[in-house]
Amino acid sequence: MIELRGLTKSYETAAGAFPALRDVTLNVPAGEMVAVVGKSGSGKSTLLNLIGGIDYPTSGNVAIAGTSIHTMPAGKLAAWRGRNIGFVFQFFQLLPTLTVAENVMLPMDFIRKVPARERRPRALTLLNRVGVLDQADKLPAALSGGQQQRVAIARALANEPSVILADEPTGNLDSVTAAAVLELFRQIANGGTTVLVVTHERDLAKIIDRKVELADGRIVENAA
Amino acid sequence: MTAPWHKAIRDVWHERTRTILVILAISLGIAGFSAVMSTYAILTRELDRGYLATNPASATLWTDSIDDNLVAAIKSSTAVSDAEPRRTVRARIRTGPMEWRSLVLFIVKDYGDIRVSTLNRETGAWPPGTGEMLIERDAFQVAKAKIGDTVTIKNSDGDEHTLRVTGGVHDVGQAQARMENAVYGYITLATLAQIGEEPYLDQLKILVARDRYDEAHIRAVVDDVKRVMEKNGHPVRRVEIPEPGKHPHAALTGTLLLIISTFGLFVLFLSGIIATNLLTAMMASQVRQIGVMQAVGGSRLQIARIYLAQSLLLGACAVILAIPAGMWGARAMSLYMAKFLNFDITSFAVPLWVYLLVAAVGMIVPLLCALYPVWHAADISIREALTSYGVSGNKLRTSFFDRALAGIARPQLFAIRNSFRRRTRVLLTIATLAAGGVFFMAALNLRSSMIHTLDGLFAQRKYDLMVQFAELSPTENIERAVRNTRGIARAETWIVSQGSTLFSKKPTASHSVGLHGGATTVDKNSFVIIAMPADTHLMQPEIIAGRALKPGDEDTMVVNSALASRLPLDKPARIQMGPGQPTFRVVGIVREPFSPAVAYIPRAFFDARHPGMANSLRLKLDGTPINQVKSDLEANLRKEGLRPIASMSNGDGRYGFDQHMLMIYIFLIVMSAVIALVGGLGLMTTMSLNVMERRREMGILRAIGATPAVVWLMIVIEGVFIGIVSWIVATVIAAPLSKGVSAVLFMAMMKTRLDSIIEIPGILIWLAISIALGAIASFLPAWHASRSSVREALGYE
Ligand SMILES: Nc1ncnc2c1ncn2[C@@H]1O[C@H](COP(=O)(O)OP(=O)(O)OP(=O)(O)O)[C@@H](O)[C@H]1O
Ligand SMILES: [Mg+2]
Repeated sequence: MIELRGLTKSYETAAGAFPALRDVTLNVPAGEMVAVVGKSGSGKSTLLNLIGGIDYPTSGNVAIAGTSIHTMPAGKLAAWRGRNIGFVFQFFQLLPTLTVAENVMLPMDFIRKVPARERRPRALTLLNRVGVLDQADKLPAALSGGQQQRVAIARALANEPSVILADEPTGNLDSVTAAAVLELFRQIANGGTTVLVVTHERDLAKIIDRKVELADGRIVENAA
Repeated sequence: MTAPWHKAIRDVWHERTRTILVILAISLGIAGFSAVMSTYAILTRELDRGYLATNPASATLWTDSIDDNLVAAIKSSTAVSDAEPRRTVRARIRTGPMEWRSLVLFIVKDYGDIRVSTLNRETGAWPPGTGEMLIERDAFQVAKAKIGDTVTIKNSDGDEHTLRVTGGVHDVGQAQARMENAVYGYITLATLAQIGEEPYLDQLKILVARDRYDEAHIRAVVDDVKRVMEKNGHPVRRVEIPEPGKHPHAALTGTLLLIISTFGLFVLFLSGIIATNLLTAMMASQVRQIGVMQAVGGSRLQIARIYLAQSLLLGACAVILAIPAGMWGARAMSLYMAKFLNFDITSFAVPLWVYLLVAAVGMIVPLLCALYPVWHAADISIREALTSYGVSGNKLRTSFFDRALAGIARPQLFAIRNSFRRRTRVLLTIATLAAGGVFFMAALNLRSSMIHTLDGLFAQRKYDLMVQFAELSPTENIERAVRNTRGIARAETWIVSQGSTLFSKKPTASHSVGLHGGATTVDKNSFVIIAMPADTHLMQPEIIAGRALKPGDEDTMVVNSALASRLPLDKPARIQMGPGQPTFRVVGIVREPFSPAVAYIPRAFFDARHPGMANSLRLKLDGTPINQVKSDLEANLRKEGLRPIASMSNGDGRYGFDQHMLMIYIFLIVMSAVIALVGGLGLMTTMSLNVMERRREMGILRAIGATPAVVWLMIVIEGVFIGIVSWIVATVIAAPLSKGVSAVLFMAMMKTRLDSIIEIPGILIWLAISIALGAIASFLPAWHASRSSVREALGYE
């Protein structure tokens, strides 16, 4: 599903080019749940950004479902991203002036894959799936952190993406809530969606299919 | 409605303070713009409507005396649709115990049948009976009279008579009486006889039958009419053809409207800057949300659409607010101008195109203002957006300020440094505030410069009093009357005549000489000729090229600045003067700003042709009150059988200028007040934006021990600092700008330079205003900031 070949990313800094990722090669089959771990600054976010087409590699190739994403022009890449990738962020990033349901409908409104009249029912279905249906018509500010992150996950699922990228989705949650959120990702992966999650949680073994550990921009462990 | 539209609308509500500020800023600009456009539409329509409704004469011809047969003969021509005889007589009216003002009497044959250049009835009686006079509505103040009063007038022989004021009329084509400092009276032929004047009519006002707006056609018709009149034994001595179909003040109104329009656009531009500032800030706070929307699949266009829709919504609100305000402004402005130009406005209706234009501009301006910030924000990559905490653009080079401001306490230093964090914003704010300052200081500079220039013009005149006679009179008698009058230090007899650079084959009769006090409109080719002793002591011309007249000169001429372009220096000047076409040599140019075209020639020229005659007397007094001398002298002149028709002191001459100056001045001051207001609004928005964005920072400051007073002071210092910087900018720009612009404009209009004065008090006043604006504009935001609690501030996002 996800094929990374010779992926390198250097940032231009005042002190010269800084390599954040060095020659990363990785294959992730569809429907796997992958945990990306490593010390701070090891290149986890950089890796996810490259897979999501948010950033461009210095060299190497990212192919998702057989498509080399970085060869696409920017406009097309944005549309592709909307259809194929779902993002979940550490700080939830719900739009404060939209209700919970509207936040979930927003990606559908952008991509227009789902017919207009089916968008709200679908949003409610997704909210039900992540367990916050009763919050549908509230504004995000009225929700707890865990609830907000569930909404963010529902939003990431809006357009039925084939890949979910989650950068420290549990970083702002207590361990009980964090475990529940990870469990949610497990269920999503079971549904056939590939899930990459950056996390510092321990006791991941039971729940994930593969652990990729980065150090200084290189993969030091890739264990299924 | 889809989620993006929900967001568009709800954001506007969510950011209420900024929304209101944006709407205010835009509607201020739109209101100014619509006021200007509507005034333009109303005035151009009403000015011509009122004027054309009076059936203005196509031309006026002066002859000896007009009888019914002559009028009938002219009217029988197919080219002439109507002809009416009139007369204008110069007299004086008593306005105080020893105060006389100019009275222009218009004689109409039949008030029941005025068809050309009609008068509008206003108040009181109509028509005037014998011994009665109607007064132009604007002239009541000048005459210091009201309906029912009996006024004393002096005819051209200087005899006193009384007339009863029975009504008021509106004479649309007449310049505002107050500006001219003259009274316009309307009487019948019988009344004219009663006040001791020959009861005849000498002007013929004609109306051409077709092509009324074709000046060439009118000239051709006038030539025919002239021929008919002369065949009938009535020599035509003067012809006046006004610009067809145009109110006499159309050009002046056009200039004023142009200035006002420029100003309106300027205000629109400034409010656009404020709106851009606000929208940029709104977009900056949206950076993260934009990143999120991009991450969930929003395209740049889709995202930009949300924000552009918002700005359209803001524009619509602004238009709704601005149109009533603009219409009110247009009404006030039109009324003011109409009063100044002495015409009536029958309808304030504003054509649809103005509304459409204003609505379009109102929607487009915020859209344009939003375009850059929106497009720029939508362009930020997701990664940047998601890592940004909304404090980007924070690259502050502190070293320069630190060094420049060494020794200032840390909170104050912090405040001043803060003001440069959003550099574009603060620069735009400074620019708006400074614009107000430039306008204000330029207005004061312009006023002083004009007054100084005018002082210079009057300083050239060393006489205190000028007496004009009805015709060339023996200097012997004039001098005797002067000798018999106490209080005169020096007297000279001059000759005032008229010349033209346009030659007519037919000589015009010479008895028109001396009938110009400067008030009657003459065509653009003519100018005033003043013959004075070459060694005059009563005139000290400011020669800017060549030389002054000197004893021994005879065929030499000194022209003033207004005439210099037509009669160039060192060239022979052949001119039409009375029946002859003498040639002079232009030896010098005298600087006379504000003055119509005048040529000075030596009296020797006239002495050779009319020895011992003069028609003008210039006097220097020894300090005796001027009114005393005036009345004594007049009595003595009349004893000599002379006919003084006007006596004017320098103060009388200046009155009209000062009125015009006052009006320009008020206009400029109002403009700068409006711009200062806009600038203040701009500063207020900047300060509240700065505070809003720094809520978290304020919280940190409070957390580490800053008292509310310190936070408050910091923000007020920041505002005042911006005010002072804008003052410096304005001061630096205002002087050269006002000097340059006024010099160019003045040179174009008056053909001479303006004395440039820098008003120091203006600079200081603006400093005070800038500081006050800075303090006032930051007061509320500062108060809000200092009151917010630590927890609230730290939690704010
Ligand atoms: N825009 C950038 N410019 C320069 N260097 C950068 C930039 N972004 C990241 N880096 C550097 O690249 C390296 C990898 O960063 P990255 O954000 O991928 O780390 P991370 O593993 O996600 O760390 P964390 O766990 O703290 O989020 C770091 O050393 C970081 O300093
Ligand atoms: Mg990271």
